[in-house]
Amino acid sequence: MAEAKKKKSWTRRAFIGAGVAAGGALVVGIAVRPGNPTDRLSPLVAKGEGEKLINAWVKIDADNIVTAIVPHVEMGQGIFTSLAQMLADELDADWSKVRILEAPADAKYSSSHIGREFLAPNLEVPEILEPTVSGSFLSLATAMTLQITGGSYSIRGTGQRAMRTAGAAAREMLVAAAASEWNVPVGELRTENSMILHDKSSKSATFASFAAAAAEQSLPAKPKLKSPKDYKLMGKAIARTDIPEKSNGSAIFGIDADLPGMKYAAVKAAPVVGATVEAIDAAAAKTMPGVLQILNMGDFVAVVADGYWQAEQALATIQATYSKTEGDGLDQDALFTRYATMLDEAGDTDGDVETEEGDVGEAFASAATKVEAEYKVPFLAHATMEPMNCTAWVRDGKCDVWSGTQSPLMARKTAAETTGIDIDNVAYHNAYLGGGFGRRSEMDVIIMSTRIAMATKYPVKMIWSREEDTMQDHYRPSATSRFQGGLDKDGKAVSWSNIHTHLFDPQEAPTVPYYNIANHKIRKIDVPTHLRFGPWRSVDHSQHGYFIESFVDEMAHAAGKDGYAFRRELLAGSPRHLKVLDTAAKMSGWDKPLPEGHGRGIAFVPSFGTIVAEVAEVDMTGKKPKVTTVYVAADPGFAVNPDGFAAQMESSVAYGLTAALYGEISVKDGAVQQSNFHDYPILRINEMPDVVVEIINGDHKRLGGAGEPGLPPLAPAVTNAIFAATGNRVRELPLSKVNFA
Amino acid sequence: MRAMLRASAPILVIALAACGTDPAPEPTEQIVVREPGAAAVPAVETEDSLIAIGKAAFNTCIACHGIEKGGANKVGPNLYGIIGQAAGAAQGFGYSEALTSSGITWTKEELDRYIANPAAKVPGTTMMAGAITDAGRREAIIAYIDEVSAN
Amino acid sequence: MITLNVNGQAKEVDVDPATPILWVVRENLKMTGTKFGCGVALCGACTVHVDGKPVRSCSTPVSEADGKAITTIEGLAEEDGTFSKVQQAWVDEQVAQCGYCQSGQIMTATALLKNNPNPSDEQIDAAMAGNICRCGTYVRIRKAIKVAAGNATETQEA
Repeated sequence: MAEAKKKKSWTRRAFIGAGVAAGGALVVGIAVRPGNPTDRLSPLVAKGEGEKLINAWVKIDADNIVTAIVPHVEMGQGIFTSLAQMLADELDADWSKVRILEAPADAKYSSSHIGREFLAPNLEVPEILEPTVSGSFLSLATAMTLQITGGSYSIRGTGQRAMRTAGAAAREMLVAAAASEWNVPVGELRTENSMILHDKSSKSATFASFAAAAAEQSLPAKPKLKSPKDYKLMGKAIARTDIPEKSNGSAIFGIDADLPGMKYAAVKAAPVVGATVEAIDAAAAKTMPGVLQILNMGDFVAVVADGYWQAEQALATIQATYSKTEGDGLDQDALFTRYATMLDEAGDTDGDVETEEGDVGEAFASAATKVEAEYKVPFLAHATMEPMNCTAWVRDGKCDVWSGTQSPLMARKTAAETTGIDIDNVAYHNAYLGGGFGRRSEMDVIIMSTRIAMATKYPVKMIWSREEDTMQDHYRPSATSRFQGGLDKDGKAVSWSNIHTHLFDPQEAPTVPYYNIANHKIRKIDVPTHLRFGPWRSVDHSQHGYFIESFVDEMAHAAGKDGYAFRRELLAGSPRHLKVLDTAAKMSGWDKPLPEGHGRGIAFVPSFGTIVAEVAEVDMTGKKPKVTTVYVAADPGFAVNPDGFAAQMESSVAYGLTAALYGEISVKDGAVQQSNFHDYPILRINEMPDVVVEIINGDHKRLGGAGEPGLPPLAPAVTNAIFAATGNRVRELPLSKVNFA
Repeated sequence: MRAMLRASAPILVIALAACGTDPAPEPTEQIVVREPGAAAVPAVETEDSLIAIGKAAFNTCIACHGIEKGGANKVGPNLYGIIGQAAGAAQGFGYSEALTSSGITWTKEELDRYIANPAAKVPGTTMMAGAITDAGRREAIIAYIDEVSAN
Repeated sequence: MITLNVNGQAKEVDVDPATPILWVVRENLKMTGTKFGCGVALCGACTVHVDGKPVRSCSTPVSEADGKAITTIEGLAEEDGTFSKVQQAWVDEQVAQCGYCQSGQIMTATALLKNNPNPSDEQIDAAMAGNICRCGTYVRIRKAIKVAAGNATETQEA
């Protein structure tokens, strides 16, 4: 904070900017770093003659259309609509006249707020220092090339800190312009539906009519944000703007890119990560119809053809030999054995300590009841419905790339680095993402397709087959976690000790600061594996939610207590947490008896700023578990779009249940064994439980995420329900490996 | 400040992933068959024999089925030697219960009826695709499978 | 040359007759609403109608559609763009998330309702089980089908 103190003369005034665009349009932006108003973005966002933009987040043009410029990507989470809602509400815009534009891949749109949320999520900053702190995070975000959508951060970061402020600033400037023109006090004016109204004189005018004049007004030092009672759009289930085009086939995804003269590439990478393609036999492929080029790229083989199907057919005939690697002999069982050996070696003291409080050794030794358990989870693939793909055109010192990525700026930078072309001559064009879930934050497809395009010199669309998509993912790690817990003679938890393999992100995923346990110690060990890890919906919470909430249930059982009652004790003194837990229990009718062979399980995981409790009901009377209903109680602080938030809870239940029931990527001879939906099954509609969602708006000042927090409690809620129904404690996922007969 | 230090690891992960690209290696082998727009290499004179037609038509099937001797099962079972076998006989393939309990022996006639409409012939089969309505193409595909299996 | 009838229009394409309908529609006819998901008829993202019946276009050669009528997602709305009943229900129930699978879902649902105007939950599940949605919009798909069938007991606020 030393640097921030030095520059505390910065004020919020410095980071709001405004200007005029063609036709008298007002543009307002949050120039997050003081002193950087610039028109460098003008050619990117404002195309009209004379248009000037300052990190624009909002533009109001002559026909009274408000355009919200959203620096995040749409991958199904509804973020375009929700962020525009936040901006339009503060602006008092007429929702029917709001348009949404995805911000270009430019450093000016770096997500400083994401950088900040990643690095210092709970940092409380005095108002006066707010801009300086944000500014320092912008420098950091720019350096890190963060213009990413992930971590369930868009609403609570960008929305709260930028979109709302921009809307409020624009509104104040419009009002000031009208007050000046009509010669009335600002306080007598009000705004509504993109109009400025003076009730005393019955005067009214559109925003557009004061757009140019507003740009001349002094910038508001500190725009006043609405309090929840005045929200008109926030908190409303507004229909998503992208759904109509996703219902008639007109929505454009990365895979739909189309260019004159474009050709198609099918690719196959070495099955073992790290191996190189030593030689290829392409004799048959050369004679096949439509084939243009056959490329051995060193780490993968590509066939370029007039059509994608022709490229795939030819690729299938190519015989390749691969170099030997250290991963070659590795099987999944050996990998779990490696985890076990290293955990054994770490014993009671070694490994990296993540959190420690009290003395777990002493507390566990003297505990009246001791509980120990080990849990395992496999690698998981993302399996987005749209397979990985990217289209690139490299020619005459220029490069254009089309794809759907969670990180447009990083994609642009990656293309520049790969081609050696100056970034100013590289354009990146983003489209809708056919599923992201973390997979589309990786840059592998950008690199591969620009390399192919460099070789061909004409535009090429590279599409991965489903098999490549499954076998060449960046996986959620497989992991093992061991616990020791101590209970006193009253069945109260007194010690919690955990050691687990791997730590990726977020750092707090293995920790349980919300549970009252006096002595706890959590450690991790790093175990080398050759597979690539990547963020997978809810990242480390996906496994630690299962580990932690299974073990809490085991401790409850050992204490002779009900899982809900035991968690209530652990959360005593945290009313906000308790309310979420109590709501889920109440929704499910926790105390009501269920038929023979049915069971109820509860799990509680706060993650990404949102507190979630889930109760699953499971029918165990058939050959395999059938999850009939999932009750979700969630407190995201304030749900900006409650229907969109509920949709994300439903979605997380389906994604989490797929993993719990079936999800398993395993390694044999160093290569991933699964390849398509027959051996990596995805939950289908006939297996989808009813999902009942209740939202609690617990703190409108501190918002939580939506895309991920619904997932971590799902698996343990289900396995705890299976235990309740059968007495069978599931300590390894997926459930398809367990024989329930 | 403590929070910043403790949490710096994930950013680093992202940053390294982004910046770790070496200058792009060029292809180790580039075979240019033809330039775009250039006339396609004249296709090898196609035989009009039933088996040649069947071989071409089998392209519809190869996404799911291999046919080489000892070849692996894919999404569907390997079809080498299927004619004359009982339904559900390929080693190591997870058939639907509908198919294994169908009692079918794959004569050419039964195979013909099946691929004309798999779901109608064996309700509950997991073979979702591959219905071939053209009787001539079915005949050719079956002749090709028979020929490959005989070699 | 193969002559196809796509969404009521005659189209001539010069392709290998074994080419799957999916790639002919996407690459030759530039209609990209039909999606590639798995290539082996396991996910349903590529569903189109051939003579009114839902087929997996990734695994059906274009020669199979010779002389028959292909309908794609682009052919469901009326000429002025007015959505079909099923499409409108998809919008009203806010079904789509990422949206990638939804063309296929809507094509399968449309075929279901044509054959069975009043499907039960079980019949909906059975008919739709071939279409994977990774975002898990299944709860809303069930609801939207009932709304389109006109037998929903309630509709949600849009």
